[in-house]
Amino acid sequence: MKKRLLVLEDGSVFKGYGFGSDKETIGEVVFNTGMTGYQESITDQSYNGQLLTFTFPLIGNAGINRDDYESIFPTTRAVIVKEFARRPSNWRSQMNLDEFLKEKDIPGLTGVDTRRLTRVIREHGAMKAILTDDSRPIEEITYQLSQAELPTNQVEQVSTTQPYVSPQNGRKVVVVDYGLKHSILHELNKRDCHVTVLPHDTKAETILNLNPDGVMLTNGPGDPKDLPYAHEMVRELQKHVPIFGICLGHQLIALANGAETYKMNFGHRGFNHPVREIATGKIDFTSQNHGYAVSEESVDKDKLMVTHIEINDETVEGLRHRHHPVFSVQYHPDAAPGPHDAAGLFDQFIELMDAWKVENRDA
Amino acid sequence: MENQSKVEVVNQAAIERALTRITYEIIEKNKGVEHLLLAGIKTRGVFLAHRIAQRIKQLEGNTVDVLELDVSLYRDDRETEQNENPLPLSDSISIKGKKVVIVDDVLYTGRTIRAALDAIIDLGRPDKIFLAVLIDRGNRELPIRADFVGKNIPTSKEETIQVSLKETDGYDQVNIIKLN
Repeated sequence: MKKRLLVLEDGSVFKGYGFGSDKETIGEVVFNTGMTGYQESITDQSYNGQLLTFTFPLIGNAGINRDDYESIFPTTRAVIVKEFARRPSNWRSQMNLDEFLKEKDIPGLTGVDTRRLTRVIREHGAMKAILTDDSRPIEEITYQLSQAELPTNQVEQVSTTQPYVSPQNGRKVVVVDYGLKHSILHELNKRDCHVTVLPHDTKAETILNLNPDGVMLTNGPGDPKDLPYAHEMVRELQKHVPIFGICLGHQLIALANGAETYKMNFGHRGFNHPVREIATGKIDFTSQNHGYAVSEESVDKDKLMVTHIEINDETVEGLRHRHHPVFSVQYHPDAAPGPHDAAGLFDQFIELMDAWKVENRDA
Repeated sequence: MENQSKVEVVNQAAIERALTRITYEIIEKNKGVEHLLLAGIKTRGVFLAHRIAQRIKQLEGNTVDVLELDVSLYRDDRETEQNENPLPLSDSISIKGKKVVIVDDVLYTGRTIRAALDAIIDLGRPDKIFLAVLIDRGNRELPIRADFVGKNIPTSKEETIQVSLKETDGYDQVNIIKLN
């Protein structure tokens, strides 16, 4: 295997061996603490433009299978592991991680002490990094890295360009795609929702003309402030129809209602984040993947209610609108991968749509 | 009684979710929790009212009083002793100017709620009266409707809705019982 280098913005250098695609890549380096679920994570569009590090030392044991894709064309920039399993063992396995990354043209780096890398990220925050061949002087690589501009149109890159439907007989739900995971559609279909998926820049009017029972705003990559048109859309939409937001969708709902978001130091990426539902005091272990968060002080308490908080660092994890049928969570109730504690939120969405329908029939 | 079938229609998680949603809706409709008073109808309505009060406290930080309402003396379908004290409570909670939310487990004919309305009005003149129920099973005999509904379960008169709560039964569950 070819010797390759990972160079971070702060000057740290990690040496390892390349696998998967052998192209050079630049992006934000982040870490995921999950022990499993690498296939879902790598294909999660929220990792668009990022170099994804797994803290767990052995990745790829169960290979790659046909069932666990969260997107068809993953846009994760690179995968960094301590060791990848060359010979996976699982009855569902169709190929190993190396073959998969080659097919999807994603470079991998193995032989890296990913726990040390994680410490560096924890200390200095998520930062730019380059994965490249070990054939040039370090100064040249660092210079190239410092000159690199990361794109800010990530949502545009991963959102669908054409509307499509995922049919079922039941409630009509519009999903606005900011980089959706397939498991969201799966969860909605499972609950007999007829799902129409629309591109990220769809106007509120277009959505309302479809006359949906509810609208779901999906997860997605990047800074929610880069999407002012989406804030506008949410502001208009929330007056007319129930909305459920996940992850980026949650941040968009916050921004649309005057709250602020900020970039977290190293984000929440993993499947063991404890979240408390304030009303009941109940704790769910949740699957999370976010690098931005809603600032609690900025939440206008007359408009929004904070319903969930993360226990470790008390970040806002759930919101509810005080006047409109709108609620959102920062974590992933679709839980792919991760614990299924929060799957009830999809039922909550269904119940909200039903209650809203009854109320508006009376009115 | 052997020929009956029992079907679970609402499980524990869904009961909790419904109560949480009702709590949010109460807060939203009242624009806060000022002057709010929860009136639970004995027996299970009281427990539900306490659960909602607990949620409100966690969310908004305010303690909301819970009134325990015994409406059996106000019912029109049961014979009562005239000389009993008709007031369902003796404590000092004042109703005047309050926004009262009547809480019960099942809304059916509406007769219990009518009795509750009488009981409350005997205590004073509230600003407003709302109704929150866990289950609305339809078949009303009076012009009464709920403001906050956990779940609508349309039933026939031959069926029975059985609500079990942790506080009395050891577990949370709602069943439909059908006589075959």
